[in-house]
Amino acid sequence: MRPRRSWRLHRGTDRDVEPASSIPDGTSRRHRPDYAILVLTALLMVIGLVVVYSISPGLAAAQNVSQGYFITKQLIDVALGVVVFGLAAFWPLRRWSRLGRPLVIVAIVASLIVMFTPINEVYPAHRWIRFGNFSFQVAELIKLALIIWLAGFLTKQWRAGKLADARITLKSLIIILLVTAFIVAKLQSDLGSTGVMVAIIVTMAFSVGVPLKRLALIVAAVLGVAILAIASSDYRRERLVAYLNPSVDCKGSSYQACQALIAVGSGGLFGLGLGYSVQAYGYLPEASNDSIFAIVAEKFGFIGAGTIIVIYGLLIARLKRLIERTADQFYRLIVVGVLAWLSTQMIINIGSMLGLLPMKGITLPLISQGGTSLVFVTAALGLVFHISRYTSYNAKEPQNDATPTNDSFNRRRFGRAYNPSFTSRPRA
Amino acid sequence: MSWLNKQGVARQAPSSNRRPVPNGSGRRLALWYGVLLFILAIFLARLFYLQIVRHDYYRQAALSDQLKEYDIPASRGLIKAHQGSSIVPLVLNEKLYTLYADPLFIKDAAGSAAKVVGITHGNAAEYEKAMKTKDSRYQVLAKRLSEDQKNKITELKLPGVGTQGQDYRTYPQGSLAAQILGFVGGEGKGTYGVEEYLDKKLAGTAGKLKAITDVAGVPLAASRENVQISPKDGSDIVLSLDLGMQKQLETLLAAGIERSKSPSGSAIIMDPNTGAVRAMANYPTYDPAQYFKVSDPNLFNNAAVSSPLEVGSVMKTLTASAALDLGVVKADTSYSDPNQWKLDNYVITNIEEIAGPGTHSLTDILNQSINTGAVWLLMQMGGKTGEVTQAAREKWHDYMVNRFRLGKATGIEQGYEASGFIPDPKDGYALQLTYANTAFGQAMTATPLQMLTALASILNGGTYYRPYLVEQVINGGGQAEAKKPEALRTGVVAAPVGETLKAIMEYSVAHHSFAKPFPANFSVGGKTGTAQIANPAGGYYGDRFNGTYLGFVGGDKIQYVIAVRVNEPKVGKYAGSGAAQPLFGDIAHMLINDFNVAPRSGG
Repeated sequence: MRPRRSWRLHRGTDRDVEPASSIPDGTSRRHRPDYAILVLTALLMVIGLVVVYSISPGLAAAQNVSQGYFITKQLIDVALGVVVFGLAAFWPLRRWSRLGRPLVIVAIVASLIVMFTPINEVYPAHRWIRFGNFSFQVAELIKLALIIWLAGFLTKQWRAGKLADARITLKSLIIILLVTAFIVAKLQSDLGSTGVMVAIIVTMAFSVGVPLKRLALIVAAVLGVAILAIASSDYRRERLVAYLNPSVDCKGSSYQACQALIAVGSGGLFGLGLGYSVQAYGYLPEASNDSIFAIVAEKFGFIGAGTIIVIYGLLIARLKRLIERTADQFYRLIVVGVLAWLSTQMIINIGSMLGLLPMKGITLPLISQGGTSLVFVTAALGLVFHISRYTSYNAKEPQNDATPTNDSFNRRRFGRAYNPSFTSRPRA
Repeated sequence: MSWLNKQGVARQAPSSNRRPVPNGSGRRLALWYGVLLFILAIFLARLFYLQIVRHDYYRQAALSDQLKEYDIPASRGLIKAHQGSSIVPLVLNEKLYTLYADPLFIKDAAGSAAKVVGITHGNAAEYEKAMKTKDSRYQVLAKRLSEDQKNKITELKLPGVGTQGQDYRTYPQGSLAAQILGFVGGEGKGTYGVEEYLDKKLAGTAGKLKAITDVAGVPLAASRENVQISPKDGSDIVLSLDLGMQKQLETLLAAGIERSKSPSGSAIIMDPNTGAVRAMANYPTYDPAQYFKVSDPNLFNNAAVSSPLEVGSVMKTLTASAALDLGVVKADTSYSDPNQWKLDNYVITNIEEIAGPGTHSLTDILNQSINTGAVWLLMQMGGKTGEVTQAAREKWHDYMVNRFRLGKATGIEQGYEASGFIPDPKDGYALQLTYANTAFGQAMTATPLQMLTALASILNGGTYYRPYLVEQVINGGGQAEAKKPEALRTGVVAAPVGETLKAIMEYSVAHHSFAKPFPANFSVGGKTGTAQIANPAGGYYGDRFNGTYLGFVGGDKIQYVIAVRVNEPKVGKYAGSGAAQPLFGDIAHMLINDFNVAPRSGG
């Protein structure tokens, strides 16, 4: 792809507190971040930590590892997450705009590497790069790379007024979609993550204002790919059948779905109590991981599971509010992408635990055990947290008011009052 | 949460007055947000439905999966026996392990099977097939793994592969007394012998555990619904057997059976004054540790108590004792024998050696084994020579069934004891002929143990002790319950009858040839029997006999009574004298030499 740098918004110093004159178009001055994002993120991570801690002995017994194995691993992951969140929250915001392409390249390289690493007998799929005790799930990196790159790409197209351009925008989007689907769904056989990525692409395109007719074409492509993906794999067909008819085969292909429902249903209003989950003792597969929501529901009942849904709702509300108030299209699209990521992944995960969607091997963001997912989600939220320092007071849509070349004109706006109405405003 | 932005945004310039380019972005965001909130609302509703509305259903479903009832196995009692003055174990327990797979958790069947086979030396293909079984959570791969093998498998940490401990019987004395012991089958049930007869006592009472378990069935400690009842361990049992004697008896029996080219045989040594069985053996036998390799289930039977056959002339001891006790003959009675009786149109005769009619004594009847003499004794019971009257039959039947307890199981602690058969004195066809036959041990059946116990009750002065093998039962708490000899009937016959019979049997031994003579200061007596074998098609085989022998060894007092049966020996002479009698001789010598038979005091 020919390098096009016109969408780059920031140049110059990397200090994050920037002189007013360099603050980009539509972005307000730096102010206090939205701590609600931090608080809600921390809350979900703590809940995950507590739940993993409480089922750690059972998991350890089932897998013949030491008692503290799972909680130690989760503590390390959470600590990494905190560090990454902090880095993303303080790392100069402008630099992200330059990161799109390098991230995509790293993601592609990682996708190649993962095809050559030996697969694990427990999870026979090319999803993880392993070194020693560490494993790295490539799909998580792809999600982040996708968001950053796509935000840049769409901003550029938007600025150039080419969102409706079938030849550039639409073609690119569909190519991206197919490439991602091929890599993640076909090579890594991870349909859940593919779903999340498709949601990210579609939502970002939708949000930036790609015409609905064009979007319909994208959605058609998605459906085509999905049908192909399901038809081409036995276990996906089984899962789909299991989903459509869950009571048929509780011992076989519906086993996880049945056990998840039993875990959720047996929780009742208040749950069995923190230390009294039974389903975590080998009945429900992936109890600390993909199935953790069902375990929460079993332990803490309707109150606890409902609380988690409410916390996610609050986080979604905060991010939505942030999107509304971020005037810079690039950052705004990043937040859109992160929200699409979080919400879609959460919906796929919880939906499957509640028997509303077919089972997918996908983590519940911030709560599930799974280091890679946790680290990349916290990185994304750290970035979003950082962006929340630059909101405007009111909801504000990005304004495509100038050609990208009249940079100096835009900047002037912050440097000095040029607007007569503004300067002539009556003072108190 | 507007406070968050108060400061920073206060200085914010109001939005530009340039005309915004309407791109619908705000509306699109609102739409998306609405969809998300709607989905979350569905989730909450679904949670409410699953957790509140359907809670009871899922609670039940959970319990039906999770709540399991377990037996906590009680440790099975040990079996011990005497060895000289000490008591040593015959049967011990050993913990072995069953290897199983839970196909649901097997990740790599081929790989797991290959690894496990390296330790168990089983069949990898079979393991793999079992590991891939659908709709099963428990597939047994191998049984009887050692502790060592179990540890190696545990170290592999294979998902879905587990081991389970189970008690197995081991036999420190090998196959010794195997048919008396019996074995414990795969389901932990005692089968044959003492294991079967005393299964309940040996097994104890399993405890119960009702518990929420993990998926592998291991109870979770942190469960509020666990109920536990401790198991009661089984009782240990001490047998009356003397293992030294048992060992020698088995050796002698095996040698005697081989020598007489017989397929099988039995021998018993019993204490006539208590009913305690000191040794009891059958040949051929088996190794109880390898019971599952035995193809012929007849090998499991303790033939000495479970195989009743026609006993032959040893029966004359009982017929003579009954006649003596009834007073119809005396020790010194002589009579004129016609050498044949015609009864119900059949002729009963003697073996060639008797050589025609003549005058015989009671001693001759036993010593020379005169069939017509035994029939004459029976006739005397009815008071009518030449005819076996109903009165004679009823009296004989009374002695045999009510006093000597033939036709009834003795109640010895063995599985599958047989009761034998004594014909009814009133109902039946050709009863005179039948009863004339029963008088010398045909047309009726009894086990060697029944015959021996009956003989003991005559020789010991008239007390019928129930024969027993179990001397002590020591319950799980260590309390021993000694079993006392159980006198089922006293005054079976008057004491002098025993003395008379003893003298006749001693005479008989003295007038038969043994390979090795018995020391004069010991009392050794006996009676041979050669039983014709009934042809299932009717009548008797002309050339097939079982050899039997009843005898005793003692000094002033009879110390051991001995029964021998050799089935279908292929020796030239009569089966009784040719095969059973030499074996009795060996056993009597063995007892005198090695087992402290007290010699006659005056002798």
